[in-house]
Amino acid sequence: MKEFKELLFKEALLYTEDHEWVNREGQTLMVGVTDYAQDQLGDIVFVEMPEVGESFSKGDEFGSLESVKAVSEIYLPVSGEIVEINDALADAPELINQDAYLNWIVKIKPADRGELDQLLTPDQYRAMLEE
Amino acid sequence: MEQVKRTGLYNSHLQLGAVMSSFGGYEMPLWYKGGVRNEHLSVIRAAGLFDTSHMAGVGLAGRDARLLLQRCFSSDLDSGGGKKKKPLSSGGCRYGLFLREDGTVLDDAIVYQLQEELFLVIVNASMGKKVADHLQQYKGALLLDIEELTDRFGKIDLQGVNSARILQEILREPVTIFQHFPYFTAKGGFSRYQTSGTVILDDSTELLLSRTGYTGEFGFEIFVEPSALIPLWDKLLWAGEELGLTPCGLAARDSLRTGAVLPLSHQDIGPRPFINTPWDFALPLEGGLAAGNAPPVFSKDFIGGEALKAVGWSRYIVPFAGFDPRKITISEESCVVAGSGRVIGEILTCTTDMAMERQGGAIIRADIAGELKLKGLSCGFVLLYERCGYGDLVWLKSGKRKIEVELRRDLRPQRTARLPVKKMLGKPVFSKKEGGE
Repeated sequence: MKEFKELLFKEALLYTEDHEWVNREGQTLMVGVTDYAQDQLGDIVFVEMPEVGESFSKGDEFGSLESVKAVSEIYLPVSGEIVEINDALADAPELINQDAYLNWIVKIKPADRGELDQLLTPDQYRAMLEE
Repeated sequence: MEQVKRTGLYNSHLQLGAVMSSFGGYEMPLWYKGGVRNEHLSVIRAAGLFDTSHMAGVGLAGRDARLLLQRCFSSDLDSGGGKKKKPLSSGGCRYGLFLREDGTVLDDAIVYQLQEELFLVIVNASMGKKVADHLQQYKGALLLDIEELTDRFGKIDLQGVNSARILQEILREPVTIFQHFPYFTAKGGFSRYQTSGTVILDDSTELLLSRTGYTGEFGFEIFVEPSALIPLWDKLLWAGEELGLTPCGLAARDSLRTGAVLPLSHQDIGPRPFINTPWDFALPLEGGLAAGNAPPVFSKDFIGGEALKAVGWSRYIVPFAGFDPRKITISEESCVVAGSGRVIGEILTCTTDMAMERQGGAIIRADIAGELKLKGLSCGFVLLYERCGYGDLVWLKSGKRKIEVELRRDLRPQRTARLPVKKMLGKPVFSKKEGGE
């Protein structure tokens, strides 16, 4: 697995303790998992995604990532309604391994932007990983 | 806490970018740089190389070696193994189990008869002393020596359709060796564990070569002196480069063995009496298990046999395959439920076989000819509290997560393990390693 210094982070994003990321700008927000998450999982062979139109609260399980040996649930960083899912992941789940930040999983309409303030900044996420 | 050990290939694994993990008391590669999916498919399409030096053995030498094995090993060496009713003879080997007196499993093993009075028993990592002690316990007045072999040999598994082609490149006399080499036989030897013939590489390295493995695909297990392990690994990687040979870690080893319906000791077999499993062929059953709970009839007495006869054991281990790659994590809360929601069992193994997929309900296999990029299927074994039928649909459940699976007699189709060697030489259909997909 990658050493800490090899991990990739994006400064424009916010992070959760469960290794999801969300961007801060725009009407709709994109959600994905971090480089650390994909590195830990290894080859992702299946992405279970919700339906468009479904609503979740902050911290709800909205899908899962399957590696060959394990299942990893993914949790929505902020409450919202699913407006788009990344269809490319149905045929090519390994896209997340290739670039975890380019290949978002869902796009949401956030219910309460105030919840973004509760997330981790890149520095805070890095610090959490270093422990 | 006991020190985690390393095999002689530890540094080779690091150099190849392996992600390491602890297993059976050894630090072993989980997967290498290319990832587990690529490794699993390499064994299906070309060949894979596994460091299995963490496995242990027990040597038995002497007049009564075979008798002691007949006493302790589940398979009847004097009659049927596999599909033919042939006794075990020199150069042959046999799969079976060492049971405790209560019918539970100490370990599964392959027993090699090297000579009439010389046997080699290969067991799982960290089990050398336990199996040697077990044999010693039941030796009584029998005449033989028992030698524990832990960290005493190097072992590499070469598995996949190109295995023989790769060995051809490095054996001194490949034509002789591959003239006649049936499934579950062995040739050559290492240190004092010798069959009547030799197998040497072009550089004179001696090895014990057997047509066995843990992937269900065509291939070999190779045993050498520990000092010859690293050169052998390097030589195989070099010889296999053009034939698509890929180093494979424990994750691929696990997904391959599951699709091949092979048990993992201490996970699928172990603390339960060994009966009503997909591996009952390892028991000396006369005429199969009777329907209902009639006690089994065995062709010989052996340690654990009486316990299996004594009580109607109403637990059944059954293979399953899902309908997509989704799995259930095995935990205290995971279980098997019937359509009605009633809990009917527990999950023993659940993984993804990347070389299988459903098409029109049937399971198909990724192979050299197929251009399909298969998504993989979840598969594994469940322990059921009631008898069910092949083809029955059940649910694997954990918390709110539920997946539907089909109980099946078999999993990955068209496995190549038993193919005649003669078919596995000559020009390969697929030779170059695939670039990234």
